[in-house]
Amino acid sequence: MQTKIVLDEEQIPKKWYNVQADLPAPLDPPLHPQTHKPIGPADLSAIFPMELIRQEVTTDRYVDIPEDVRDVLRLWRPSPLYRAHRLEKFLKTPAKIYYKWEGVSPAGSHKTNTSVPQAYYNMKAGIERLATETGAGQWGSALAFATMLYDLKCTIYMVRSSYTQKPYRKSMMQVWGAECIPSPSNRTNAGRAMLEKDPETPGSLGIAISEAVEDAAGHSNTNYSLGSVLNHVCLHQSVIGLECREQLAMVDDYPDVVIGCVGGGSNFAGISFPFAGDKLTGKHKNTDLIGVEPASCPSLTKGLYTYDLADEAGYTPLLKMFTLGHDFVPPAMHAGGLRYHGDSPIVSRLVHDGVMRAVAYHQSEVFLAAQTFARTEGIIVAPETSHAVKGAIDEALVCRKSGEEKTILFNCSGHGNFDMSAYDAFYAGQLVDYEYPDELIKQALGRIPKIT
Amino acid sequence: MRRIGFLINPVAGMGGPVGLKGTDGNVDEARKRGAVPHAQERAERTLQGLKNQPDLFFITCSGEMGEDTLRECGIRRYRVVYWCGKSSTAEDTKRAVSAFLQEKIDIILFCGGDGTARDVFSVAGRLVPILGIPAGVKMYSAVFAVDAAVAAVLVSGSYGIRDAEVMDVDEEAYRNGILDTHLYGIARIPARANMTQVAKQVFEEPDEERAKDEISRFIQEVMIPDSLYILGAGTTTEAIARRLGIQKTLLGVDVIYNGSLVASDADEKTLLNLADRYPETRIIVSPIGAQGFILGRGNQQISAAVVRKAGLHNLIVVATPHKLRETPSLYIDSGDPALDREFRESIPVISGYRIAQRKKIYRSS
Repeated sequence: MQTKIVLDEEQIPKKWYNVQADLPAPLDPPLHPQTHKPIGPADLSAIFPMELIRQEVTTDRYVDIPEDVRDVLRLWRPSPLYRAHRLEKFLKTPAKIYYKWEGVSPAGSHKTNTSVPQAYYNMKAGIERLATETGAGQWGSALAFATMLYDLKCTIYMVRSSYTQKPYRKSMMQVWGAECIPSPSNRTNAGRAMLEKDPETPGSLGIAISEAVEDAAGHSNTNYSLGSVLNHVCLHQSVIGLECREQLAMVDDYPDVVIGCVGGGSNFAGISFPFAGDKLTGKHKNTDLIGVEPASCPSLTKGLYTYDLADEAGYTPLLKMFTLGHDFVPPAMHAGGLRYHGDSPIVSRLVHDGVMRAVAYHQSEVFLAAQTFARTEGIIVAPETSHAVKGAIDEALVCRKSGEEKTILFNCSGHGNFDMSAYDAFYAGQLVDYEYPDELIKQALGRIPKIT
Repeated sequence: MRRIGFLINPVAGMGGPVGLKGTDGNVDEARKRGAVPHAQERAERTLQGLKNQPDLFFITCSGEMGEDTLRECGIRRYRVVYWCGKSSTAEDTKRAVSAFLQEKIDIILFCGGDGTARDVFSVAGRLVPILGIPAGVKMYSAVFAVDAAVAAVLVSGSYGIRDAEVMDVDEEAYRNGILDTHLYGIARIPARANMTQVAKQVFEEPDEERAKDEISRFIQEVMIPDSLYILGAGTTTEAIARRLGIQKTLLGVDVIYNGSLVASDADEKTLLNLADRYPETRIIVSPIGAQGFILGRGNQQISAAVVRKAGLHNLIVVATPHKLRETPSLYIDSGDPALDREFRESIPVISGYRIAQRKKIYRSS
């Protein structure tokens, strides 16, 4: 009874997979926030190195992974794929459940898959400092680790509610030599404006992105780095799905269902895009690709598919995506990494076109699922990851009812070792089931800039 | 030095154990049936938690209305400002509160039930925060601490302020099996912010007034033109009206149409007539009382017939996170069990700007 399916280090993918190559029609271009005209490379060069800009727009099916980057990835990749025998037994399901364990990276999540190449390309371009935002702290700690490897300075604007709730993530950033600031801060115009409007704001990813972009745009030695949403981030994360496909082939299997949690969409993109490619090219037409999001911030299930700003202050390009409106500040639930008003444009397009679908869950039900997972498989997952766990359990329970022996694969994107206060709140009965009052809200989205 | 106005209703709760469902005007009957006072014992539990706090000073009443219990607990930092007769009455409570107010107190701590809360509030109003040590037969008001020990923690620590309803229960009707509650007023009570901070989760808007602003901002944003809006009682619905530039009655049910007030302190008949005249009616209510009733307590004007006319899908429930923390479940007692059963097991309650909390609903029948 094989539990762990592992690849050799040499089997770390040599190329990233770019699902843009297999989209039936090109993505709608990002637009300039002021002119509303498509942006060009020059518009992005103030904050991104040229190689990442190239990766953002390329429609090449594969992009080479530099050997220097692969050497760093060897620290934790290939990550193991597990067969969840104990969970299957507990659920009495005929389904086979596999999970890809990304918590083995130094920062404890999938985020290092993109922080390392991003830091690498910036170093190559002669950049001295990176500015970024972080929600739950997973991206911030991943970029702190990566910048340390390449001797770059790193400034991290951390959403204030998480900064207070997750002090250990902040400590990790410090260990790796980065500076971590609660956002909104007094460092930037965007932060000061927000504090003036609302001194007690819990902050949001949208506000923190504005601060980091402003910081990068205002310093010639500094670039901006984003941990999700953008195409090049999804590209880097494709190593997850590419490895999974190889690992499943080793046990002669292929998933019927692929699941990941969705905030900005990068970990879901990472595990699902190679399978979405198989679906789009007709190799495996029936794979069910499911993004799981929180009911309190349900952009894919309740949002509008339209152009919206990626940040709060309006510094970033307008992206065509599912959005709840860039001025929406999601409630400060425990899955801080999923508190984003929009979604990856590629994930959004695939959901819009019916290639993927999305479901949303309340906070307390995902923690219950996380507890089930911890008590069967042993791993205590991050609150964000618990959404994917819940999605996988529900699919397995559907199989129990129908008797189908489906193969379910989900991305176990990170550990919850620094989230124990969230588990404490769950056991104390203090978790609030926030949700988005979408029935009342239709007019609210009228605030989104109108692009025709 | 924090100055606490402290009083005990010594006969509070005596009617309960002997089946009187309330002690107002019934002390002799309660005694005849063998009831013994226990309010002092409850108050003692609170005072035990306060006796070693050097920065508290008590302003109190003579004898069994306060001084006796303070002395029994070994507390010497007090001054008597009201002397009551042999047996205390509701009038004594009111006069004592009046005397407290002359002494620049920071908070009134009283021991009693709904009747005592009503008497304290009738004089103190919203001038100073009040907090009840629960000792009554009925505790529909939301001004009581969870128990006597919690009351001590609340008044001695640092606290914020939140609104809490004082309910007026008709004891005579209650004894006859009829629960006739009215919203008597909205007091200010110490908020439990510091107690819930134990779990170190700072979640939502820490200031209740700001939370009301956020709710109002959202409701204003989603209001539909040419629809009638019935606003129930309470400070959250009052904040919504204020945002629209409308002065709303705090305790009554008011009606708004296209940004204008069309009825103030409306009764059921007025609401039904108005709902007939307009194509669409929406109802906005906030949970009321310690149990968190969204229908059937404090806003009976919004009857089952009114709700049916508007349609259940047009009932919007709003409440601050603070209120929802205190009321883990919501209750319905519309007087129409069939309507109560039409509610789902849980409903979304608007608790911020584009934020709702899903709360369980219990039916009284």
